[in-house]
Amino acid sequence: MKNVANRARAYILLAVCVLLGVMPGAAPAMADGSSSSYNYSYWGEPVASPAAYQATELWTGDSLGTGPLKDPSDMHVTPDGDIYVLDTGNNRILILDSQFKLERIIDSFKQDGAVQTFQSPLGLFVTENKDLYIADTGNRRVVQLDSGDNVVKVVDSPQSEQLPENFTFQPVRLVVDKAQRLYVMATGVYDGFMEFNSGGDFTSFIGANKVTIDPVEYFWKRISTQAQRSQMVMYTPTEFSNLDINEEGFIYATNGQRSNNVKKLNAQGSDILRRLGYWEPEGDIYATVTTGYTRLADIDIGDSEMYSILDANHGRVFTYNGDGYLLYVFGGMGNQLGYFNTPAALERVGDDFIVLDKALGEITVFRSTEYGRTLNQAVRSYYNGDEEQALQLFRQTINMNANLDFAYSGIGKAILRQGDYAEAMKYFKQSMDKTNYSKAYLLYRKQVLRAHFTEIVAAVFLLVIAVFAWIKFRKMKVRKKVVPREQRAG
Amino acid sequence: MNKELVKYPFELMAHPFNGFWDLKYDRSRKTNLVISFIILGLMVLTNVLSTQYSGFLVSMYNPNYMNSLLEVLYVLIPVIFWTVANWSITTLMDGEGKFVEIFTSTCFAMLPLVIINLPWIWLSNYISLQEASFYYFSGSLATIWFIFLLFVGNMTVQQFTPGKTIVTILLTVAAMAFMAFLCLLFFSLVQQIINFSMTIYQEIVLRS
Repeated sequence: MKNVANRARAYILLAVCVLLGVMPGAAPAMADGSSSSYNYSYWGEPVASPAAYQATELWTGDSLGTGPLKDPSDMHVTPDGDIYVLDTGNNRILILDSQFKLERIIDSFKQDGAVQTFQSPLGLFVTENKDLYIADTGNRRVVQLDSGDNVVKVVDSPQSEQLPENFTFQPVRLVVDKAQRLYVMATGVYDGFMEFNSGGDFTSFIGANKVTIDPVEYFWKRISTQAQRSQMVMYTPTEFSNLDINEEGFIYATNGQRSNNVKKLNAQGSDILRRLGYWEPEGDIYATVTTGYTRLADIDIGDSEMYSILDANHGRVFTYNGDGYLLYVFGGMGNQLGYFNTPAALERVGDDFIVLDKALGEITVFRSTEYGRTLNQAVRSYYNGDEEQALQLFRQTINMNANLDFAYSGIGKAILRQGDYAEAMKYFKQSMDKTNYSKAYLLYRKQVLRAHFTEIVAAVFLLVIAVFAWIKFRKMKVRKKVVPREQRAG
Repeated sequence: MNKELVKYPFELMAHPFNGFWDLKYDRSRKTNLVISFIILGLMVLTNVLSTQYSGFLVSMYNPNYMNSLLEVLYVLIPVIFWTVANWSITTLMDGEGKFVEIFTSTCFAMLPLVIINLPWIWLSNYISLQEASFYYFSGSLATIWFIFLLFVGNMTVQQFTPGKTIVTILLTVAAMAFMAFLCLLFFSLVQQIINFSMTIYQEIVLRS
């Protein structure tokens, strides 16, 4: 009896193991978490991937020598590596060099002889010539300071026919383009970003989100009375949650939706983000009610059209290349190094990432692993058109991570350029890249047909002759059969 | 004789009104059944082969989850459901079709699906993405032909008017959905009963 029970227990244990092992929809987080990461395959399954980035340092207000940070909400890194941290709760801006050594603190500025301070500022931006723009949210203004902390201009209470009568200007995040145009994300504005010209005058809105309607809610709204309807929530487009600008002047914006939450806006405000990847660039493609949905808090644009988004709900950073293929994922929620409590801002310092945690007032530094560096370099070489080097680097990448489906496509493209069509087809098949596979296949087919032209023509010729001969033969046979019957009749 | 037997389903495909009339009134039930099972077998074969051997450009199957036995069921279960549901409905609606006749006419109607899709499995390995539209076109052609044959077959076998046939076909689809629901209910209940008795067994065994 005991024996049977033991065996039964073993079977159940086995069944449980098998079930857990093959569960495809299970949360993508890995069991050990620390060393490995994941990526999404063509089939939408989370597959194991080596870590591309690892947390190496943690900076708090104390280790920076500035006293504790209080609800810091934004960061900006200049091309030469200076890090600007906006310490919202303490109403100050910390300027650090790339080694996190404190350079100076800005907590006030002089305007017309009077000293002015900030009141819970939420966003900042630094231009190439180190002009500092601060979204001074509590004071309802945007302040521009030059590199010597002198006020250049203050933008407040914008006037326009497009704005409502009782409009209060509460800037939250902002970017500035090369023509000194200012794009401000403001609370309570559903028409997109507010664009100001270099003189600080409001010109227009840009890039509004579309209204999304829940069918169930729509149904209830249809059958309710006017009085009930006025009590309900209005359909308004979702607000943006953050924005960044790249060197070419395109604004990348995120919003709080579950999907379609990343946009690349051109000057007209239309979305031109390339979505050629296996899955939409929107963070985790699977979400469950228990783990919660992706909610993007920040976006950062790197070189070669790479961009990263920060999911505030799961604390993960997703990086995509310009075509929208997911490169790597890192981060998470937790208490250890490399995990966050309330991630708020994401920036790149060279090839490294820094993530700002709002509630803890900490900055985590992530440095690339060899895998991450190789992949970054591969994407860069490919973007710059150096296919030879991209081929080498992508080969190294898949040696480290055979699950990275899109890397095979990069190899395939380089091989296709070299003229080895059959080999290129193999790689495109591996990356499930049907368009390029078809291109390679057409070239391959032409090559084969051309090489065996004589044989093929000869075969067709012989076949035609054979068919004719067969028909002739059949006719003769029929005639022979017919003849005796006629004789019989006669 | 043998040659004519091979020709017969193809003639039915081209001239369905005469063909299904012959199937109901002139042909022996036994030959009909034999041909039906051959066509059904070929249909199963087509389905299984297409999951495995379709060209990369047109294949949509995740090879990790490909299961031939399930592919067999994906053909057999709809046919069984259709036949049972159609028989149940038409019996109530004064149809003249016997169960066997419904089954054979359904199987005969599937012939276009086989003779168009089976060669395409092989051919689809030699097409580009632009030429894939031919693949999809012939696929839809086969489906439309199949539906037309199913319609004519049902009409002839039951001796219905076209309008009544459409109504019965719609009712049949509804009945199939209902059957699927009942089957799911049945199996989930059986599963729970098995689970329950298993738990009791374990409880007893582990306590002794």
